[in-house]
Amino acid sequence: MNNRKLNNRLIYLGFTIIPVALYTFFYVFSVIRGVGYSFTDWDGLSRDYHLIGLKNYISLFKNPNFWNSLKTTVLYSIMLVISVVVLSLLLALSLNSLKRFKTFVKSIFFVPAMIGGITIALIWNQLFYRVVPLIGQALNIEWLSQSVLMRGVTALPAVVFVNVWQAVAMPTVIFIAGLQQIPDEQYESAMMDGATTFQRFRYITFPYLVPTITVNLVLTIKQGFTSFDFPFALTGGGPVRATEVIGILIYNDAFENMRFSMANAEACVLFVIVAIFSLTQLKLTSKGGVRE
Amino acid sequence: MKIKKAALGWRILRDLLLIAGLILILCPLYLVVINSFKSLEEAGKNFFALPSSFYLENFKNLFTGNNYWGYVKNSFIISVVSICLILLLVPSVSYAIARNYNRKYYKGVYFYLLMGLFIPSQVIMLPVTKLMTNLNLLNRQGLIMLYAAFSLTQGVFLFVNYIRGLPFEVEESAYIDGCNVFQSYVKIVLPLVKPMIATILIMDLLWIWNDFMLPLLILNRSRDIWTLPLFQYNFKTEYSFDYTMAFTAYLMSMLPMLIVYCLGQKNIIKGLTAGSVKG
Repeated sequence: MNNRKLNNRLIYLGFTIIPVALYTFFYVFSVIRGVGYSFTDWDGLSRDYHLIGLKNYISLFKNPNFWNSLKTTVLYSIMLVISVVVLSLLLALSLNSLKRFKTFVKSIFFVPAMIGGITIALIWNQLFYRVVPLIGQALNIEWLSQSVLMRGVTALPAVVFVNVWQAVAMPTVIFIAGLQQIPDEQYESAMMDGATTFQRFRYITFPYLVPTITVNLVLTIKQGFTSFDFPFALTGGGPVRATEVIGILIYNDAFENMRFSMANAEACVLFVIVAIFSLTQLKLTSKGGVRE
Repeated sequence: MKIKKAALGWRILRDLLLIAGLILILCPLYLVVINSFKSLEEAGKNFFALPSSFYLENFKNLFTGNNYWGYVKNSFIISVVSICLILLLVPSVSYAIARNYNRKYYKGVYFYLLMGLFIPSQVIMLPVTKLMTNLNLLNRQGLIMLYAAFSLTQGVFLFVNYIRGLPFEVEESAYIDGCNVFQSYVKIVLPLVKPMIATILIMDLLWIWNDFMLPLLILNRSRDIWTLPLFQYNFKTEYSFDYTMAFTAYLMSMLPMLIVYCLGQKNIIKGLTAGSVKG
């Protein structure tokens, strides 16, 4: 009997060994090394390098390009989050109230989630170059008449727009799933009391959706702060650093500008920001709303 | 009567929104499709019209001159092998954690694996590139190992919660009948967690198939091992002038996933929703 117990314990233990080893070696080890590099002067290629303490961080905080990229990242995330959450909520409410073609329309709205970010970015790159200026000229809107990716003011919103084009799909279906958990009786009794559409949304739909909104907010904020594919393929960070979000800055510093250890310091700063967000996420989601 | 009028107003607004959304989604895809069947000259004359003839040069060029099938094969191998590995590792380690949750070691392993929730991909991207270079793993095998390692956090989080919600009685009676842990895992637990397996399968397939950053870091050096996203990105620099050709490449890169979507869209949407609401 005892033998069997020991045997079972070994099986359980065996189940954990390969995953823990893989994770430690490729993931945790990498993170530790990355943090380590940020305290050195390594350019990424040369044979030897030296510990230089906090020097990278000090020059980082004096570097206007770094602050510019942080600002761009925050702006990018704010635009992304507001557009995605508002649009997906509106779409979910609309789709959910459809009587005919509901499944069909929903499945088309979900198509962008199936396509890779890089494909979407490259397609829109072409459209911004060939189609959008034509629309601008036809409507006589000056800023639309040339490629929006070429001008500093319009490039960032244009990149966010393409990101939104893809990112709306997932929160929409999450919202629809949330909406379907609201019991119908609530609406029926509100109708009896003569509540308007807006009142029904404000006092029934919205409170039920609070946990879902939190989920979508957190998912999208993280996407915003770690965005890479869209700015990389659309603008590469330009024009004149107008779309240089922190992911791009890190990549360019490490692989183009030979400032490998500096790029690691930038990554560590991002790490701290994302960690704070994730902690708040855990706090918020563990409180919950109507659900659970 | 007044309420009815308001309701009609909402409904018109709603339909307008949905129609605008449909146009915004379908228009780019429509333009990609029609222009793949045009010569550069014809597209230059009229970008928006349907192609005047069935021009297949672009496709011929893509299939014969550009190793398209090679990239499909790479994407396919990397996705399939990674996912097999993930499905081999994630449910079993989650099972061990979920059934020993009161033991220190397993709880420790759980929180250790969950640490990944806090780490953005940009922190990993530089050191992992150096690590893989040093190990001589800038190849498909290396990328597959990275996918397996990086998928653990989310997978274990979803699975542990799911397994802990399952009743323990069936397994218990299996133990009394003389099953060991491994047998009861294969015979009882695996069939019970099928919905979660589907969710992980869809989430990770979509991620790995469409991922750009890791292939860019690991595979970009030799074009024989490019995946489809890498191929498209590098195609842009080579064919920047020949954009109908580029559209053909984009179309053919989207197609595999869109076909999968058409075959199982209901399950795909369901699986992804289940994954992200909990994750």
